Amino acid sequence: MIELRNVTFVHQNGVKALDGVSLKIDSGETVAVVGENGAGKTTLVKHVTGLLKPASGDVLVDGQSTSTTSTARISRKVGVAFQNPDHQLFSESVEEEMAFALRNFGFAPQLVEERVKWGLELFGLEEYRKSSPLVLSGGEKKRLTLACILAWDPEVVILDEPTVGQDSIQKERLAETIKMLSSAGKTVVVVSHDIEFLWPIQPRVVVMKAGRIVGDGPAATLMQDRELLDSARVVQPQLVSLHQQLTKRPERPFTDALEARRWLERGKRTP
Amino acid sequence: MMWLSGGFVFRRGTSRYHRLDPRVKLLISVLMFVTTLIVRSLYELAFVLAFMVAVAAVATVLRRVLRTMMLTALFSAFIFAVNFIVTGNLEMSLLYSLRFVAIVVSTSLFFITTSPDELEQVMKTFRLPRDVVFAFVTAVRFIPVMLLDTIQIMDAQKSRGLELEKGNIFRRVRNMIPILIPLVVNSVVRSGELAEAMESRAYGAVPQPTSLVEYRSSLADKAVAAAAVVTFALVAYSFYYVLPVHFP
Repeated sequence: MIELRNVTFVHQNGVKALDGVSLKIDSGETVAVVGENGAGKTTLVKHVTGLLKPASGDVLVDGQSTSTTSTARISRKVGVAFQNPDHQLFSESVEEEMAFALRNFGFAPQLVEERVKWGLELFGLEEYRKSSPLVLSGGEKKRLTLACILAWDPEVVILDEPTVGQDSIQKERLAETIKMLSSAGKTVVVVSHDIEFLWPIQPRVVVMKAGRIVGDGPAATLMQDRELLDSARVVQPQLVSLHQQLTKRPERPFTDALEARRWLERGKRTP
Repeated sequence: MMWLSGGFVFRRGTSRYHRLDPRVKLLISVLMFVTTLIVRSLYELAFVLAFMVAVAAVATVLRRVLRTMMLTALFSAFIFAVNFIVTGNLEMSLLYSLRFVAIVVSTSLFFITTSPDELEQVMKTFRLPRDVVFAFVTAVRFIPVMLLDTIQIMDAQKSRGLELEKGNIFRRVRNMIPILIPLVVNSVVRSGELAEAMESRAYGAVPQPTSLVEYRSSLADKAVAAAAVVTFALVAYSFYYVLPVHFP
């Protein structure tokens, strides 16, 4: 579905943001991209959408090179919810905001109405339907941007730091949404610092450092490599740390706190 | 945007010109600006532009200045066309259009080599009200931030299927609405937050706050300033009394 072939990108100030990055994401995969600030995570995402073109190498989305395809065309397949919702909200009402992209993509008015309704219900924003998106709280704005993306049903959903400004309940809902998208066969890419949020989702994890991919594998395996995580300044999930510190422990780390509790209650049986 | 970024946004440099007292840099730019206004022929203007290019080379910002000149030429082409249509005088039309390029370069040379902090000190030298100085310097300081905001907003909207380069002129203008509204709203919100942050750090508590940096001109600064004034006087004299006038 998404393929980066030896991609290099240098910013105008001379900083090499991507340095020979090769990555293949298959359809239906859920991938988390982690790494410290400036590791090149957002630059990588912008290459997938065609907003940035590689200095060398190639980026393919569904077999099409992003270098020769417009961002608008790629966006029909790849929906990105950027980190700062204030960078996209401009309409008079929440429903108009949601309808914006749908109209750009030429959806029929009836379908626009249906998709807006669906998105508002999914993210609990029905009561703000006629409100200005600018008066929503930070968390609500973030949910609205997600709803806007999901409304046009892209094949790939990319979430850039989706948990920023979200309370714990919203984070749980968001994790459920990601699982739901994943089970619906969507390709989901999550760029996040929030390892505790990512861990229960158990995605494939891509670790970035200084514009390079330094680790790539299932969360269950990769998150146990303390040396790798430390070198990329990624904090190990608490449940993995707990697992490593237990003298008598199950074969694999707990995926959530409830599982850990059950294990302890059952007399330390393998989960 | 890139024209604004390349031509007017300060980037740290280590050249001798960068290290000059900012007041001297302002003096040089003002003198170049005035010289641009008093030229009366293309030869004189060519001399002024060559001098500016030399200053840019000394300041190691030649590439940025040349790029600014090229991009400014697009606007000056419009000035040339209007002048030529109205007056029919080729030389005068060329002079006026190139004068615009020279004016932009003279101001650009000051801004790209002077940090906002130095700019603040220069404005304080003129005993301008503190609030005015702060507002102006903050505006200058936030230009790169707003440019970055604009790029990020454009990226976000393009990712929602907005095609900025598509359609006729009216559609293109309409396509700018999703860019301008978030940009303005963000700027207003940011200015409010900045005001609160400044007040919480005692901005305005005393009428004359102390300054961390006090600029004192070195002998080299004074020598450069004197050389600039003498050069200007000689150039102005030769323009008016030595070189021939091509048209009134």
